[in-house]
Amino acid sequence: MNTFLKMALLFGFSLHAVAHEAALEKVSVAKDVPSIERGAETLMGACHSCHSMKYIKYRDLIKFGMDKKKVNEWSGGQSLDLPLLAQMSENDAVLAFGKAPPDLSVMTKARDGGPRYVYSYLIGYYQTKDGLPGNHIYPETKMPDPLGIIGVTDEKQLSEIHGKARDIVSFLAWAADPREEERLRLGYYVLAYLFVLTVLLYFVKNQIWARLDRIS
Amino acid sequence: MFANVINWIDQRFPLTSFVKHELTGYPTPRNLSYWWNFGFLAGLVLVLQVATGIFLAMHYKADAATAFDSIQHIMRDVNYGWLLRYMHAVGASAFFFVIFVHMARTLYYGSYRAPRELLWWTGQGLLLLLMATAFMGYLLPWGQMSFWGATVITNLFRATPFIGDDVVIWLRGDFTVGDATLTRFFALHYLFPFLIIGAVVIHLVALHTVKSSNPSGIDLAHKDNIPFHPYFTAKDFYGLGIFLIVYSVFVFFMPDSLIEPANNIPANPMQTPNHIVPEWYFLPFYAILRSVPNMVGGVVAMGLSVMMFAFMPFLDRSRIPGGAHYRPIFKLQFYLFMIDMLVLGWVGYVPQTSSTTIIGQIATLCYFGSFFLIPFISRVEERWLIKRGLPQEVMTLIDKEKKEIAERKLKNSQRKGGKA
Repeated sequence: MNTFLKMALLFGFSLHAVAHEAALEKVSVAKDVPSIERGAETLMGACHSCHSMKYIKYRDLIKFGMDKKKVNEWSGGQSLDLPLLAQMSENDAVLAFGKAPPDLSVMTKARDGGPRYVYSYLIGYYQTKDGLPGNHIYPETKMPDPLGIIGVTDEKQLSEIHGKARDIVSFLAWAADPREEERLRLGYYVLAYLFVLTVLLYFVKNQIWARLDRIS
Repeated sequence: MFANVINWIDQRFPLTSFVKHELTGYPTPRNLSYWWNFGFLAGLVLVLQVATGIFLAMHYKADAATAFDSIQHIMRDVNYGWLLRYMHAVGASAFFFVIFVHMARTLYYGSYRAPRELLWWTGQGLLLLLMATAFMGYLLPWGQMSFWGATVITNLFRATPFIGDDVVIWLRGDFTVGDATLTRFFALHYLFPFLIIGAVVIHLVALHTVKSSNPSGIDLAHKDNIPFHPYFTAKDFYGLGIFLIVYSVFVFFMPDSLIEPANNIPANPMQTPNHIVPEWYFLPFYAILRSVPNMVGGVVAMGLSVMMFAFMPFLDRSRIPGGAHYRPIFKLQFYLFMIDMLVLGWVGYVPQTSSTTIIGQIATLCYFGSFFLIPFISRVEERWLIKRGLPQEVMTLIDKEKKEIAERKLKNSQRKGGKA
């Protein structure tokens, strides 16, 4: 069969499968250092053994304002200039789960729905009829329930887990876009400047064009 | 001292006369609306793209193994690298937006008609160059959408008769999109903007020969022209301010809104993304490609859909000036065409289902239909409008034009006769 046809078929099928199965939960991403630090801590405990964040160095966390002692602990005494690589090698992970765990550095930007997707995914675990773990958001997932939400019915415990998921997502959102704060701050100045400039340019334009009325 | 220097230069290079002829004294119709700002804006976006692009190229690595990482390096470690990259990415969309408005204005006001055909065609060439540049630039971040978009589009060249498969390999430099493709796309993505600059110069030479059209469509008497500077420099800069505000809102506050999430996943040849979509500016043409069930037909239809604009000077047979201004049916057709473009864009964006396929096919027929109907509609409309009675000035203009054409023909035949 002609390669293009194959491509087109692949295309058609993949397009068919795109419709989202479950609606995404709402989450407000925290921007404050304590929440993001809590998120980093939870991530270090629950995700870091398999998932890397190769674009983030330990020193970046300290620069952002996290507790130096904690970061040192997470790095395990290694140089702070090393990236947050997973403890498990990719090969071992593939052997264990059948799939390499994706890098998390830009995860909140890499999915439709962004932070909402990641949050819904983390709290989307449930027990299937066969007693196996399932996920509403990403049914094909190979990752075991990282926050232990399956089977939890207690309201207080549940909201605690939701809080943890929110912290993780806040940390991931910061990691995906560490320059956001700088960007927004600069953005307000730029817009204010452009606004004044444009108003002035408008007056200049009117003044210059007023000459025409005087002539004719 | 300054006057002496200028004088020294003027004896060796026509600096003063050039500036006077092409800028300060360049005669421009005084009734140009803000729709005439977009040519200037396109030129400015081109400068922005080249400027940011050169600095991005200093930090970018055109290598399949490190390209994705180098983008993250630019976003995180390079001073104001995020600003350069977002300005460049948003700039690509801004470029197409500005060009599309520029083209829509030309269509609405009939600015493509004699004597501006060559101006319009150089613009068509610029559009093709711009599309090629944008397409190649999109591969460089080496994300999933980059990779699969390039795979799908280079695959279309299989439609070339006889040598299709070889053409695809020749374009990619490999059997699949890979490192060889990335490096050549980078090289060409750096080259093409300079071709565009050259083509812009040609576009401007053509413009300055035939001068700007204007909303009335009537060539204004000399007294109605005003010098470009200071009147239109002032107007263009005010428009630029508005443009930069909108541009900055995107760059600083919603820079990721135009970047597909899947492009933040490194390219993976083993895994097709769920839903391959091109950038928004290609969506209508992509929808036309998908609407034709046959591959070769789809490619031809897509190519034609871009090139159809070049035929407008021949298709529009009406002699009534002012584009849609004095032409109610043409105006209606223009707006229907715009709606059709939006429908096609939507069809190109959503996952294909049987109903969107049918909508896409109808929209494709409307797209081409509106071009093919123009020769007939424009003639019928002209007759109807003349019968109904046009403003006296427009009638005299049409008569004058008719007389001029007859005179030119007479002169031509006399000259030929004289030589024979």
